[in-house]
Amino acid sequence: MSFTLNGVGIEDTFAEGFGMWGARIIITAKNRKWANIAAREMTGFATSVIACDCEAGIERQVPPEETPDGRPGVSVMVFGFSKTRLATPMLNRIGQCVLTCPTTAIYNGIPEEEADDMLDVGASLRFFGDGYQVKMRMGDGWGERQRFWRIPVMEGEFLAEAKFGAVRAVAGGNFLIMGENEDATLEASERAVEAILEVPGVITPFPGGLCRSGSKVGSTYAFLKASTNTPFCPAIKHTSPDSQVPPGCNSVLEVVLNGLDEPSVMKAMAAGIRAATEVEGIKWITAVNFAGKLGKFQMGLKDALGVE
Amino acid sequence: MKELVLKPKKLPELPLEAEVITPDSVAGKTLKEVKALPVYVGNTVHELGDYFDVKGETAETPSDQLVAIQGECGNVKYIGAGMTAGRLIVEGCVGMHAGAEMEGGELIVTGSASNWAGAEMKGGLLRIHGDAGHQLGAAYRGSPEGMTGGVIVVGGDVGLEAGAFMRRGMLIIHGNVDSFLGVHMNGGEVFVFGKVARRFGAEAKGNGGFIACFGGVESILPTYVYDTTFRPDFMKLYLRQLRDQLGIEAAGKFLEASFKRYRGDIAVGGTAEILVVEP
Repeated sequence: MSFTLNGVGIEDTFAEGFGMWGARIIITAKNRKWANIAAREMTGFATSVIACDCEAGIERQVPPEETPDGRPGVSVMVFGFSKTRLATPMLNRIGQCVLTCPTTAIYNGIPEEEADDMLDVGASLRFFGDGYQVKMRMGDGWGERQRFWRIPVMEGEFLAEAKFGAVRAVAGGNFLIMGENEDATLEASERAVEAILEVPGVITPFPGGLCRSGSKVGSTYAFLKASTNTPFCPAIKHTSPDSQVPPGCNSVLEVVLNGLDEPSVMKAMAAGIRAATEVEGIKWITAVNFAGKLGKFQMGLKDALGVE
Repeated sequence: MKELVLKPKKLPELPLEAEVITPDSVAGKTLKEVKALPVYVGNTVHELGDYFDVKGETAETPSDQLVAIQGECGNVKYIGAGMTAGRLIVEGCVGMHAGAEMEGGELIVTGSASNWAGAEMKGGLLRIHGDAGHQLGAAYRGSPEGMTGGVIVVGGDVGLEAGAFMRRGMLIIHGNVDSFLGVHMNGGEVFVFGKVARRFGAEAKGNGGFIACFGGVESILPTYVYDTTFRPDFMKLYLRQLRDQLGIEAAGKFLEASFKRYRGDIAVGGTAEILVVEP
């Protein structure tokens, strides 16, 4: 079963998403250069929990007028399979990559009223101040109650909000873009990621938002729990018995996305697919799933695109 | 919001104690009941209606109640004391203890306030457009904590011992402040845009408390140690809050300012901060 969009065939299937905990951190700095350096460092080696401690990515650039301290900011999102497996990487990554980065400060990006729980990340970071940290209070008895920690560092002070909101989020949104050659497929995938990042509350944790290997559960080797997604590797499409690469397709890229909720992921998938279909040479789009046996969310491509 | 208007008639020579002038006391009552609320002159009990013309409407709940006092009340004590919600606007001056122990809502005084305004305040906003007397937001004698929340904004000058024993909350003063500002404070934030007289922060303990001085200081106690001159990010948050949420335009001028940081009072092992803006 399939349908077409802008002349591109789209399989009537679904992306299988998993429930994870997600958090949003606003990193600010003296200028955009340093805010981005901190954000890139913090979200490094965080593509997939297959081998990373979390999944993370940059959501968007935050203009100074939207940040608490009026400086340029970057919104970063982190995802983990439990609150602990979210809080620990957050603490480690902020501690090693943001606290150490000149001029930065961090603020919670999910207000308490929108969060399912609050994580004491900043409150844990404060111990790095070795007793010289200063508690900062705002809004007591009259406004929005907020708590921060001021941690002395050699350059000056590192300011960290005490608590960060965490929500039950969605990971594993995906779709595969298949084209007649590498150039068309890469261009369509880049356009897809650009469109996805216009949707608030979504990140694409892989390099440039793209995963060229894909992955499947298990392998022929007993010691390896995941391996390249052989059914979608064009280089072996005629020699692999379970190949799912359609005729005429010679390159496949997977777009992977996580979001704070299912509607955001669906909306972003739709935006990405629409953008990809506008590139000449794209033949087929599908999504990866496990027949609904593993993930909590089944995000249909038809539903996402609003196709009857 | 429903508005109840009080106009002072001939007030007594002795101070009138009128802690019933709050949105809490009048909400849910008829005008007749409001006029019958007890007020005190010395050791005699009178009715509010004896000293005020009462007109307007009362609301069901304090949060929907606006009380406007149209006239000078410089000899009326405890206006707005203990209020928890709603708005109380005094078009003139107020006597001692205005807004003392208030927990919420908004008390606006277009004139000046006498001593103990906002003493031991717990929450809400007290805005005094004129001057304030001594012990603004302070702890009453023998009490271990002064302000524990809320904001006091003073447009003019302030007397002695403002913010004494402060624990939390904010004190913002546009004018000059007399001695012993923030004495014994153990938390809370004080912002002064005028000049600060000597001995401020005496025996302050810390707990995140600081006194930020934007208009100069007379002298700093020798028990405060100069640490550094820096541009702290945290100050940007406060200054933006002052400018954007409280309408204090002066705060916006110092967003990029450098501050000298002093830490003390080491006489009591304190870690409070004095931050003096660099010219």
